[in-house]
Amino acid sequence: MTIASEVLSSIQSAFPGAVLDSRVESDRRLWATIDSNKILDVCKHLSSKHNFDHYSGSAGVDWIARKEMEVVEIMASHGAHQVVAMLKIKTPRENPSVKSLTGLYWNANWYEREIWEMFGINFEGHPELYPLLLSDELMGAWPWRKDYKGYPDLTTGERAVEITTPDGYTQYRIPPTPAEVEAGTVVLERPKYPSFREREELEIKSDSEMIMHLGPQHAMVPGPFLLDILVEGERVKKAFLDVGYIHKGIEKIMENRTWLQGITYTDRMCYVASLSNNECYCGAVEKILGLEVPQRAQYIRVILEELSRIQSHLIGTGEFLTLVAGVGYAPWQYMIMDREKIISLIESVTGARLTHTFVRFGGVRNDLPEGFAEQCKKVLPYMKSRTEEFIELFAQDPIYSLRMENIGSIPAETAKRMGCAGRVLRAAGVAYDMRKEDPILVYPELDFKVVTGTRGDSADRIDVTLREILESIHIIEQCLDRIPSGPIKTEAKIPKKVPAGEAYYRVEDPRGEMGMYVISDGGDKPYRVKVRGPFYATFQTLTPLLEGVYIADAVAIAGSMDGCPSEADR
Amino acid sequence: MLKIKLLKNFSWPLKIATQEIEITRLYPEKMMELPAAERGIHELDATTCIGCSSCARVCPNNCIEMVHFKFGSPLKNKKMQFPQIDFGRCMFCGLCVDECPVECLKMGKKVIMAGWERKDIIKGPEFLATKRFSAKEVTDLEAEGKRIAAEKAAAKKAADAKKAAEAKNASKEGAADANGAAKKKAAATEAKPKEGGAA
Ligand code: SF4
Ligand code: SF4
Repeated sequence: MTIASEVLSSIQSAFPGAVLDSRVESDRRLWATIDSNKILDVCKHLSSKHNFDHYSGSAGVDWIARKEMEVVEIMASHGAHQVVAMLKIKTPRENPSVKSLTGLYWNANWYEREIWEMFGINFEGHPELYPLLLSDELMGAWPWRKDYKGYPDLTTGERAVEITTPDGYTQYRIPPTPAEVEAGTVVLERPKYPSFREREELEIKSDSEMIMHLGPQHAMVPGPFLLDILVEGERVKKAFLDVGYIHKGIEKIMENRTWLQGITYTDRMCYVASLSNNECYCGAVEKILGLEVPQRAQYIRVILEELSRIQSHLIGTGEFLTLVAGVGYAPWQYMIMDREKIISLIESVTGARLTHTFVRFGGVRNDLPEGFAEQCKKVLPYMKSRTEEFIELFAQDPIYSLRMENIGSIPAETAKRMGCAGRVLRAAGVAYDMRKEDPILVYPELDFKVVTGTRGDSADRIDVTLREILESIHIIEQCLDRIPSGPIKTEAKIPKKVPAGEAYYRVEDPRGEMGMYVISDGGDKPYRVKVRGPFYATFQTLTPLLEGVYIADAVAIAGSMDGCPSEADR
Repeated sequence: MLKIKLLKNFSWPLKIATQEIEITRLYPEKMMELPAAERGIHELDATTCIGCSSCARVCPNNCIEMVHFKFGSPLKNKKMQFPQIDFGRCMFCGLCVDECPVECLKMGKKVIMAGWERKDIIKGPEFLATKRFSAKEVTDLEAEGKRIAAEKAAAKKAADAKKAAEAKNASKEGAADANGAAKKKAAATEAKPKEGGAA
């Protein structure tokens, strides 16, 4: 199996002088600063020679003291090996511009757009560099740069221009400075985000076509996002996706909060998966601090994360089935009833039903209460029988199978190329699960299978989800048998200031691969936190998937991805 | 075949309908049983709070403000400053509870706090304190505090005087012993009326 040092030496021998700086953190993590001219060649080399077929995202970092910006490309493989290569490209702060990877990896599109709108780093060769999460009037403010002063530019008031719209609303706009125009970091002629009318005029070619809104407020969507579909008769011809309605700027907020306070913000990215988010952030910080988590705390974390996975799968599936089945609230009701039992279990430990803020650096907040194991042993067999019943029920229902089978299928190769995550990827038959790929806590000692599907369609996604619940139950049962007694927090004192360093930590969120890239500059606050969300990755694939399907199936496809726009927008 | 399947599916809701199910819909009539770990409204033990404002510093939402409250312990909390929490902003994360050095802040099972106005849910120590002193206890404690302070002051005075005298003794090595003793006595009597004034 390939390990990080081999990958590094391979790059070094293939491109002498391309690696400016490198660090092999472990067998599974490689940090390397690559010459920005050679990045495309290095990536090509990695994907062809070392199976780096998974472009897992990229992060921008503003090093204001060093007067440079950094783009960190996160590269991994879909199961061929476990190395994650963090390739850094440097660019001067005055005229930040790097080469786009969209030619090599289809899914680099959104990640680069986000970095462009947040940091003002230009991506040469990007096909459609226009805002993703921010609204138009914030463009040019580059809010995630370290010298951003707030909006409108509160300290000077110089850059914000007040505009009164015809309807009498006040808008602010931050026009680019002449220096930025000269540097070319601002695309002056960028495609403007079209209004509904403009889009209609632009796209509708014949009388038989029309544009339909699904969202931002729509019963189908679990959070606000806008899906405009151009339909001809019953067929979707083209889909337009607009996100950013629930952008909270969590990554920026976390830069302005202490390390400990940051935990509470990770909860709010996705409330049904808040324990995984906690784990991801705390794990990354623990890695920087070099903390060892006591065995008991590790088991508690695993138990709770698996419980949280079960409840997330239940709520996701129930919600989705309500939408497609059109039978009122029956599936929702059954699943929410079962979920209530799981939520009660979680609540008895963490004290909160949602947004748990439970995981701490080097441990957990509370110990398991008295009688928790007994309670679990009552609920889990019940859950198991219920889930089996659900699986059986869906397998035999003819209406369900008409509605779901062969709808929105993605072949394995496409799913990999598009960078889907979680159930969408696994339903396509790719056994890619962070619990196996990048094992954390006590997962390596536990016995469980990675559930996969075969066809990659909506029915398979639901089937995978339900069978994952069974696996989770199996994991929890093992944990309850093995959990040792002992401390729940590390003995080591956790400093207020985290020593300078960086870490990338991945967990298996209920929706797939979630990673957090945390940088510390030795202060009491994180220097940068980058969240690589699973649904962000999957969301991107929605538009191409919807082309050519029936309108009614649009709901079946979008819903089966178990979306959480809140986490995608962060 | 299809019909049998459909019929089988219909049997399912019937089965469910016969079960007794309890979810939160019983709410206004019957409260849900909350676990011991529940993170509800804060409970302050005013008798032990030391007014260190650690809780206010750690709160991510800045919802704790330190305010004056009469019924705490003046011995431990000299300035009588106690936390007041704005529940409009509080997210019940529990960081303040973890941070409290004397464990006087807890989160209880109380969860109802609706108000008509925003300021109604800013709850001061008056509302939060589950344990407090009565007015009489506070006056007693204050007196006690004064007495201790006075004792301390006296002890300090005496120690200072002693030191000064010793220093003098050391400098006037050849001087008569009686002289030094008399001076010491004078210093002690000087300090006494002041002590009385402080008490
Ligand atoms: S629970 Fe959290 S938000 Fe509420 S007062 Fe305490 S620290 Fe602040
Ligand atoms: S409640 Fe605790 S942390 Fe807050 S001021 Fe009192 S002693 Fe300090």
